[in-house]
Amino acid sequence: MDRWFLIAATTLAAVAGVRGLLILRHGNKSLWTVWWMIAALLCQMGYLVIRGEMRGACPLRSIGEISVYLAWALTLFYLLVGPMYRISLLGVFTAPVVVLFQGFALLPGRLAANPEKILNTSPWGETHSAMSVLAYGALALAAVAGVMFLVLDRQLKEHHLKSGLFRNLPPVRELLVSLERLLWIGMILLTIGLVAGLLMPHGDGAWAHLIAAVSVWAGYLALMAVKRIRGITGRRFALGAVALFILSLGVFAFV
Amino acid sequence: MELVCLGLNHKTAPVEVRERFAVGNTKLGEAARSLLETAGAAEGVVVSTCNRTEFYLAAEDAGEALRRLEDGLAEKVHGHMEPFYLHRKADAVRHLCKVVSGLDSMLLGETEIFGQVKQAYQAAHEAGATGPILNKLFQKVFGIGKKVRTQTSIQEGSTSIGNVAVELAEKIFGHLKDSEVMVLGAGEMSRLTAKALVSRGAKSVIVANRTHERALELAAEMNGRAVRFDDWLPVLKDVDVVISSTGAPHTVIHAKDIESVRRARKYRPLFLIDIAVPRDIEHAVGEIEEVYLYDIDALEQLADEARARRSQQIAECEKIIEAELVKLF
Repeated sequence: MDRWFLIAATTLAAVAGVRGLLILRHGNKSLWTVWWMIAALLCQMGYLVIRGEMRGACPLRSIGEISVYLAWALTLFYLLVGPMYRISLLGVFTAPVVVLFQGFALLPGRLAANPEKILNTSPWGETHSAMSVLAYGALALAAVAGVMFLVLDRQLKEHHLKSGLFRNLPPVRELLVSLERLLWIGMILLTIGLVAGLLMPHGDGAWAHLIAAVSVWAGYLALMAVKRIRGITGRRFALGAVALFILSLGVFAFV
Repeated sequence: MELVCLGLNHKTAPVEVRERFAVGNTKLGEAARSLLETAGAAEGVVVSTCNRTEFYLAAEDAGEALRRLEDGLAEKVHGHMEPFYLHRKADAVRHLCKVVSGLDSMLLGETEIFGQVKQAYQAAHEAGATGPILNKLFQKVFGIGKKVRTQTSIQEGSTSIGNVAVELAEKIFGHLKDSEVMVLGAGEMSRLTAKALVSRGAKSVIVANRTHERALELAAEMNGRAVRFDDWLPVLKDVDVVISSTGAPHTVIHAKDIESVRRARKYRPLFLIDIAVPRDIEHAVGEIEEVYLYDIDALEQLADEARARRSQQIAECEKIIEAELVKLF
């Protein structure tokens, strides 16, 4: 049953992305994108509830489960902060990333049909997992905003201003402000997750994961510090957010 | 009861003829009442803008009403009625639909005309010059005008250099209320462009001109401040938009100038508008990451493209109007 919810959520996100893109090509805004994404979120939550019941804990024990949780966090942040952007357009950029993460989870062998029940859970461990992946949702959305900025920046620099995409993209300054806010939210959540990770009981094998997580955290901190103290061009800031997010996914290799 | 429209506009009459028939906003109601008396019509509305004056009449004997109206107008054109056009019945409604949709405007798709016709109708209504025929007609036509504007791209894009600059500035900075503008060279083009930015809420304007007195004048007009021409570079660290039109035979803003203030600006986006010929801003400036540089050709091209896009929409607009007219008759 959990898999069906996930398939439904993936299909709904794919519809949101494809339909939004087609409408965008004609220079219009898709007012339905947000509703498709809300429906996708409800299906994701259906999956999480069933999977959580099966695990007896937060379903974050395999790379497949982490991918779905990440897609859920990304959708949630999109729906929470979307009104700051042109909501339908952000949805068009967000939906493919959601499809990518969930599509990855749906690959054979990523989600066990009968997952092992977790008997001894640690509150610090649960906090670490939930907060960290939630942080990744915010950071993923920051990367999406970064891509939107890079597209707009290129169009403005090269005077390619005829497309429907250009007309519907939010202004440069708004994108940069939203990008910075999302990075701050992600950083705060990631810090909580990291502290919880240090406090949770862990074996020797967890050090590689911890070092990778601290490196990601330090990378984002450096980017934010440069932006605040010295200043940085919008293009480098956006590229930094996108690159750091892609690199940060490597942390899950140590899960 | 028959509907008639007699009028003249920028296509049929030069300004020296149009101005003889122009009616001020405050006198539109009075003009509509006087139209009823002159033509002996049952209902009437007078639409008057800088580009047109049109008389809309509903009369039992439209031929007689027209004859009387033409007699009244002929005096002002010494009997030469050629600049006037006449639309009757459905044609008059079709024409009014095109007028409110901006299809008959000098600047295709402009939005101001909608409000102007609405104001003319309101004035006539308040003066008691309208009745069931024109009340129903104008209400219906306003609905059609709105439909045309929302269902087509007839009013999309900017068709003047000033408005293109404003549109780009808004694409970069969003609301302009936090944006500071610097004007280099106090010529007419800079004045118009700066004025367009101020009208959209730009926070402040700083003017630098070789003749400082002229800079002071323009700054006063824009509620801004003037700086000596030699002092424009230190100001650059605080501004978001620069409009340059100095008339200098060589470039005035160089890449090294922008490089020198980048750090102080914290690499914030900078929009440079070069409307000078020869150009004021070195080409290499556009290669600096946070700089968006547009010269007069780029702005003109964008305005041309918007005009072309609007022209392509005419057939679509006319299709909507015809479909609505079928419902009306």
